[in-house]
Amino acid sequence: MSTGDFAARLGAVVAARIGAPGTISNLQRLTGGANKTTWSFDAEIAGRREEFIVQLSSAGAVEQPNPLADISPHITADEDARLMIAAVRAGVPAPRVRTIFEPADGLGPGYVTERVAGESLGPKIVRDEKFARARSLMTAQCGAILAAIHRIDLAEVPFLPYQDAAQLVAAQYRIADYYGLRHPAVELGLKWSAENAPKNPRRTVVHGDFRTGNFIVGENDGIRLLLDWEIAQSGDPMQDLGWVCVKTWRFGGRGAVGGFGKREDLFAAYENAGGPRVDPKQVRFWEAFGSVKWAIGCLRMGMRGIEETGIERCAIGRRIEEPLWDFLNLIEGRDE
Amino acid sequence: MPRSMPDAPTILGAAVKYLEEELMPTLAGYHRFKTRVTINALMTVKREAELRAAQAAGEAERLTALVGHDGEVEALSAELAERIRSGAVSVDDPSLRAHVRQSLADALAINNPKWMAR
Repeated sequence: MSTGDFAARLGAVVAARIGAPGTISNLQRLTGGANKTTWSFDAEIAGRREEFIVQLSSAGAVEQPNPLADISPHITADEDARLMIAAVRAGVPAPRVRTIFEPADGLGPGYVTERVAGESLGPKIVRDEKFARARSLMTAQCGAILAAIHRIDLAEVPFLPYQDAAQLVAAQYRIADYYGLRHPAVELGLKWSAENAPKNPRRTVVHGDFRTGNFIVGENDGIRLLLDWEIAQSGDPMQDLGWVCVKTWRFGGRGAVGGFGKREDLFAAYENAGGPRVDPKQVRFWEAFGSVKWAIGCLRMGMRGIEETGIERCAIGRRIEEPLWDFLNLIEGRDE
Repeated sequence: MPRSMPDAPTILGAAVKYLEEELMPTLAGYHRFKTRVTINALMTVKREAELRAAQAAGEAERLTALVGHDGEVEALSAELAERIRSGAVSVDDPSLRAHVRQSLADALAINNPKWMAR
């Protein structure tokens, strides 16, 4: 599909299902990966200019056989949209879905959401003076948003894959083995995780990538939007609280929570907003295991860097020791 | 035959100096970002050329003590990894912890020396 065809088909969908005349302008590709591309555009709706985002799955592309596909499942574009609709209904600042594409639209799987202005770059949010006020609000906002996510009725989103802690650890072992990795620090991390995995955890919606970098932030009002719902699962709600504390996502900022807040403030805000009672030890497990998981993520990126001879992914491959170092400090009580 | 001169770290240092001081100021956006990533990658390779041989000698000594026999660093490290997986070595073993900590510190000294100060 050429950009011209894409614009024409998108315009027709906008006019028919969002509002007439639906004239499109400023269509710009923001990011493009193997699985999906993101575009922004404006459209004239009933005499007003409105701002939108469109997500497209690469349906036309030849599906690469991926032996690891079942290990880190991505929900489909359709499910992603349905989850965001359920999240908005539960009071979560998720992207507002305006239309989901149908086969007759000729666009492949995807959807249109309302565009929200603000900053998403982690280093800017955690370090720039101009986000100081935002940072002072964000810990409480994280607590309230997480409590709302974990309240979503699972019956509304039955397509979410479920994995408990032990299954998630087993999946990481399979990835390490797939790449033939035999690395003492990774093995130490995986074994510790297998031995310390919480049993019989509560089961709720889990965003799965709740962290700085996936927030759209305003200088005076903090978190406006929570992005990237495509690896959502159901499972132990504490994993979202642990993941936002993983040191990589602090981007050099101060504060264990996302580079801006204190763990105890996050837990208090979460409980005050109606979230289930927090067991800090369990959150710590998820932060430690999250570090190991990100180390294996670096391995995967590095292997793709070798295949593609791409400098950025090669560089990420060399970041594998950062989260392993953080992991070791965490389990030895040497972290902040 | 004597080693060719200049040595690898010196050549990499000269390449980085050109990229950083002459090329970077002329760039913006995408190419500025990619060149920054490239400079960092070249600096990693430079530190590896400078530090790795001495690190590997220390690593071989530690691994020999841990697994009980000598051999190539890669093979000993893989053997230790398997012992951790099988449970033959406990994850709480202080000598294992000390080895892993030192190996990570060595790798970070090459890949991202700033990380340990964070």
